[in-house]
Amino acid sequence: MATRVITVDRGQRAGAFPILLGHWITLQNFLKTLFGGQASTIQFPEQKRPHSERYRGIHLLTAREDGSPKCVACYMCATVCPAECIYIESGERPEKTIEKYPTRFEIDLLRCVYCGFCVDACPEEAILMSRENDLVGTSRAELIIDRDRLMARGELVEHGPGYRPVDHDVRRPVRIAALERLEKEHGIVPGMPKR
Amino acid sequence: MPKCTIDGKELDVPAGTTVIQAGLMAGIEIPHFCWHPDLPVDGNCRMCLVEIEKMPKLQIACNTLVTDGMVVRTKSEKAVEAHRTTLEFLLINHPIDCPVCDQAGECSLQDNYMGHGLYDSKVELEDKVRKRKVVDLGPIMLDAERCVLCTRCIRFEREVTGTNSFELVNRGDHTEISTFEGRPVMHDYAGNLADVCPVGALLSHDFRFKMRVWFLKSHESVCPGCSTGCNVFVDERDGEVQRLRPRRNVDVNKSWMCDLGRASYKEIGLTSRVSGARRKGASSWEGVTVPAALDTVAGRIKEAGSASAFLASPQATNEDLFAFRLLAEAVGGKLDFRVGDPQAKVRVRSDNVLLREDRNPNTQGCLDQGLGRAGVAAILEGCRSGAVKALVLQGPELLRVPEAVEALARVPFIAVMATHEGPELERAHAVLPAAVWAEGDGTFTNYARRLQRLQRAVAAPGDALPRWELAKGLLDRLGQPLAATSAREVFALLAKVVSDYVALDYRAIGPEGRALPLADEGPAREARA
Repeated sequence: MATRVITVDRGQRAGAFPILLGHWITLQNFLKTLFGGQASTIQFPEQKRPHSERYRGIHLLTAREDGSPKCVACYMCATVCPAECIYIESGERPEKTIEKYPTRFEIDLLRCVYCGFCVDACPEEAILMSRENDLVGTSRAELIIDRDRLMARGELVEHGPGYRPVDHDVRRPVRIAALERLEKEHGIVPGMPKR
Repeated sequence: MPKCTIDGKELDVPAGTTVIQAGLMAGIEIPHFCWHPDLPVDGNCRMCLVEIEKMPKLQIACNTLVTDGMVVRTKSEKAVEAHRTTLEFLLINHPIDCPVCDQAGECSLQDNYMGHGLYDSKVELEDKVRKRKVVDLGPIMLDAERCVLCTRCIRFEREVTGTNSFELVNRGDHTEISTFEGRPVMHDYAGNLADVCPVGALLSHDFRFKMRVWFLKSHESVCPGCSTGCNVFVDERDGEVQRLRPRRNVDVNKSWMCDLGRASYKEIGLTSRVSGARRKGASSWEGVTVPAALDTVAGRIKEAGSASAFLASPQATNEDLFAFRLLAEAVGGKLDFRVGDPQAKVRVRSDNVLLREDRNPNTQGCLDQGLGRAGVAAILEGCRSGAVKALVLQGPELLRVPEAVEALARVPFIAVMATHEGPELERAHAVLPAAVWAEGDGTFTNYARRLQRLQRAVAAPGDALPRWELAKGLLDRLGQPLAATSAREVFALLAKVVSDYVALDYRAIGPEGRALPLADEGPAREARA
């Protein structure tokens, strides 16, 4: 096949003008930073940028009033997790109304992709995400965080909780899909039964 | 043969078929709770209402017989609305504890709600009637709040085990199931109660909180617990067997299995499994690779020649037995399999449900292959007199028999294929690691000469190999290699030799097994072949 050469005119002009334009922009920023106090960089880690209310950082487990985990070990987060980074083992609670709780709950933060699906899937609002994103450790094992570290909120959450399913009903997408299917396949719109 | 139309599909069903059964034959699932294929019809849940032409009211599909010319609609507006309102009625007092309920994922209520319900509950949480939760009934956990009062458990106890442990107590929306005074369930078929329960009211104590069911992968297999050979699913996650579940086979176990069989999965994942070969050195055991151990064993039986003896195990599959038999024939040694009494009782029942006296799954397979030859007594006599120079055991059963210990001590070389460690292995001179039933493909022949397939569910620990592969290794070293590389190919060789198994292969056996003619029905045997 013969080589085809396509010539594109990008409107570039040769000469000194574009170089001088670049220098002018640099000089503007230099002056802004030096005298105007408008630096684009910050003094990390002493200074930190504010994160959005819905920032998806390191997870945390919420507690009941008595300090026990809110989690009922339903494995929804482990089921939905695309990175398969959540490991749970369940045990029996003495209260018959709750029955189940996690004896082990580990998140491998090195595998986690911070998608927030676990927060969406949780029926108990037991797992949330904080706005913390400093993930530093000296070994891999250190970054597999266990139940007690996930529960230690004050220590973990420097910036307060981040992503949590309060502003939207996470169960709705599933329900809406099922309702649509029902209407499409059987022509039924559920509601009060017809008299 | 009445002809009917269900949802526009024309069907020709046998007389006496109910609408729900006819629907299943056509692949139409009518929602139901109280109907179970292996229990008598009760018709109390009213979930399976369908519209039948020329009948003024909706009818329950489980208790309506198909008649000629019947036209049934299961998805008409009237029927679907009946399903939804019935479900709403059943769920009035149902707790919303799916997150902690072990039934979630295999629950009729969940499935029916997603398929036919989808209403908004009109009952406030505080108004629901509270019932007993977390009641420990021995092998079963009862949660009366989750019950939909379908009475499957009551009918199971009445019709299958005859124990009548469960009954409905109280009235109205306070009705719940209960055992008398909350006593535990005492019979050996309790696990089935958790299986028949369509919701999470009766759950297995053993499986409680162990695993969410959607993580499990099921493999079709056969229970190795006794000569009945109940069809099972081996449910496994990441190579670890989590539970056994009965697999419906009308000709063998219907939908049931006993608790002893159900517990047999626990043997698989034990840390006391034999995972490597070893042989007795000058002073103590030395661990060796499997090929090295096979070299030793092959050398010793070659040396012994016809002064060797072989003892097959009725725990082994037909493929294992066949390779082992070839091994015995290759050196001309004595061969048998009958250790102890229970193997004579292959057809004797232990109870009136499923369990049989012979706790070996494949005694009939040993008999079919003609492994009962020399007699164990004769082999032991040979051991005692020094006529047996090498003994190869396919299982450690003989090493456990107290009367045999003294005779076995005189044998210069004993090799054993073992699955689990035990003090009896001390009496051997070489131990070969063997895989258990769930770790390889194969077939068992049950008490009624039904050939049934096992499928590999998990990997064997360490160096352990299926017993036919160990025998194949020995045959290779004796210069008579086995022309097979899989259990399927071993079976093909077996099917050329053993009468009644001729012309069968794994495909012909199928998922529900294949009944072979019984030995004593001469003319029928030819008719069926």
